[in-house]
Amino acid sequence: MGESTVRQQVMTSITMDGVSKYFDGGETVANYRLNLEVDDGEFLVILGPSGCGKTTALRLVAGLEEPSEGDIYFDDERVNRWSPSERNVAMVFQNYALYPHMSVRENIAYPLKVRGIPPDERDRRIEEVTELLHIEGQIGKRPAALSGGQRQRVALARAIVREPSVFLLDEPLSNLDAKLRQEMRSELKRLQDELGITTIYVTHNQEEAMSMADTVVVMNRGTIQQISPPEELYSRPRTEWVARFIGSPPMNLFEGERRNGSIAIGEAGTVDLESVAGVRGIDATSTSTSTSASASASLSDDLSLGVRPEDLFLSSERPTSGNALEGTVDTVEPLGEYTLVNVAVDDRLVKVKVGDADVTRGEEVWLTFDDEDAYLYDENGELVTQAPSPQPTEGR
Amino acid sequence: MSDSDDPFEPRRPGTDPERESDGRGYLSVDEIPETAPARELDWATRLANATPSLPRLLKYAIAITVAVLWIVPFLGLFMASLRPLNEIIQGWWHLEGMTLTLENYQQAWTYRTAPMRRALINTLIVTVPAVLVVMLLGAMAAYPFARFEFPLKTTLFFLILLVMAAPPELVAMGNYNTLREVGLFDTYMGLILVHIGWGLGWVVLFLRNYLLGIPKELEEAARIDGASRYQIFRTIILPLSTPALVSVAVIQFTWVWNAFFFPLVFMRSPELYLAPQVLPLMRGRIQVEWGLVAAGSVMTMIVPVLLFLTLERYYKQGMVAAVTD
Repeated sequence: MGESTVRQQVMTSITMDGVSKYFDGGETVANYRLNLEVDDGEFLVILGPSGCGKTTALRLVAGLEEPSEGDIYFDDERVNRWSPSERNVAMVFQNYALYPHMSVRENIAYPLKVRGIPPDERDRRIEEVTELLHIEGQIGKRPAALSGGQRQRVALARAIVREPSVFLLDEPLSNLDAKLRQEMRSELKRLQDELGITTIYVTHNQEEAMSMADTVVVMNRGTIQQISPPEELYSRPRTEWVARFIGSPPMNLFEGERRNGSIAIGEAGTVDLESVAGVRGIDATSTSTSTSASASASLSDDLSLGVRPEDLFLSSERPTSGNALEGTVDTVEPLGEYTLVNVAVDDRLVKVKVGDADVTRGEEVWLTFDDEDAYLYDENGELVTQAPSPQPTEGR
Repeated sequence: MSDSDDPFEPRRPGTDPERESDGRGYLSVDEIPETAPARELDWATRLANATPSLPRLLKYAIAITVAVLWIVPFLGLFMASLRPLNEIIQGWWHLEGMTLTLENYQQAWTYRTAPMRRALINTLIVTVPAVLVVMLLGAMAAYPFARFEFPLKTTLFFLILLVMAAPPELVAMGNYNTLREVGLFDTYMGLILVHIGWGLGWVVLFLRNYLLGIPKELEEAARIDGASRYQIFRTIILPLSTPALVSVAVIQFTWVWNAFFFPLVFMRSPELYLAPQVLPLMRGRIQVEWGLVAAGSVMTMIVPVLLFLTLERYYKQGMVAAVTD
């Protein structure tokens, strides 16, 4: 106990080193070789579709699960076998997990009580935290008598009251309605800023992730796809999968084939590879038909070209210069704030976000975009960045 | 409702002229009544609504018949307990010249060889510990079966079910010998232990099913809050199991209280006899004292019935939850 009170004062950084988790005697791979670092006081969001292992990752940090492989460190200490209370983590569950037979007050007091904190101190802290979360009026009620938002606050209060060194949230807002979710989102962010506790937040909602996180970790099928600040996640999705996952609606990907200095997108037209690649500093001059050693490690033949719906423009006449792809308007969805136009390009639907659309179904249109808004993904689905050839490869 | 709202005036849907421009066609929030407005019906319609249809009537008839068949023996017993013997012998259902008296009860209460007063206290002495211990031990045994993984878990559970299937008459001889050997024959302690042993099987099965329905997150939340396994059991699991524990208490109480076979085999001294054992003694020598037996039966029966009635609400909750999961 004495040790943990000391640890409370200090914030904690978390490191996951090659952590894997298998269930059912190895039948299920929930997490595979996670490498992750969370700094002191950082707000980290793990984002991914349902079943991607993000909750398991959180439970591993919490100490509710033990890693099958790899190590977890809190600061410099290996905590693999530590219990949740030894790690001094607090967690908010998706359905809040409030104790139904206790009043709000007893719920919040529970972690203090089992830790043997004297009643005076308990009262003081409960008062403090209920004030912070504006639930003073609910203190005598049972959880069943509370609304969803109030339950959420009680769950937060119970987590904060013991001054944990790590704060874990598992989809805490998913059971709230849209308006309340927004409210709680900003409140959570404010709370974390004020308290400065290292926080890991799990969600499948990219809006939550982007708006709250210092760092976003995108997960898919039990492994990490990308770790980056929210802005970078949007501006530089590392793989095709992330590109398709982030943004609403997500990025359009045109499957193309490399022909000399350009990419052919089926029947829809071609895009000048050199200018698109040049913006990102990629060397596209070497062709794969060349036999030089550097060229073999260069751009592959199958490339995908990604453009976000908001970066595409519609034009009813063929533009004289720049990138243009031909298509037919399929449907028009007016959404108030903007209009979404679905355009069939080479048998695929492409989404275009426009201010207001003066196009109708069946109309022939050209899609245009700027060079710097285009992303190139190679045949492995990875973003083509700097000139790939001269770098010493890691044997991928 | 405004006067212009004439139901006989047809109006094309979606063409409310007022609604379109100035919004007068919409209801304001204040106009919404707190409760559904009462519909005024004439008595003929009400009567027609209240009259059941023929199939429904048949169902009622069957239900009532079954209910009467069930209640008649109890009614007979109750009547017999309240009337003198000569009236009962002619049949308790003859109502003319009926005398109601509590004499049977008084006699049974102070019956010479084995007064009901003592027998009821004896029964209580056996029943209360047999119920409480089974509740506590049962919950403690059911929790690991519901939550933990341990070697031979399924085998052990199967064993418990197997023991439940054994007929008590078969095992009674073994119990008899054991109790004699350890010197617990003809003692309440011995009888209580036998009841606990027989009760545990179903209690563990019943409580395990109930505990499976308690969300795991609650325990995980408690673990994160820093509670030990024992604290979780005491402060989360036990309080949440109250309905199931009440069900267990009521059923086990009734079972132990009414048990005839076990006291018959394991209790020898008349002064230690339990209520169900005393009843056959009251039959009398020359003539069967029906009134006395009836009064004794009612007194014995009334205790579990009262317990059930007081705890009925919890009992139902517990039964439903334990059986549905």
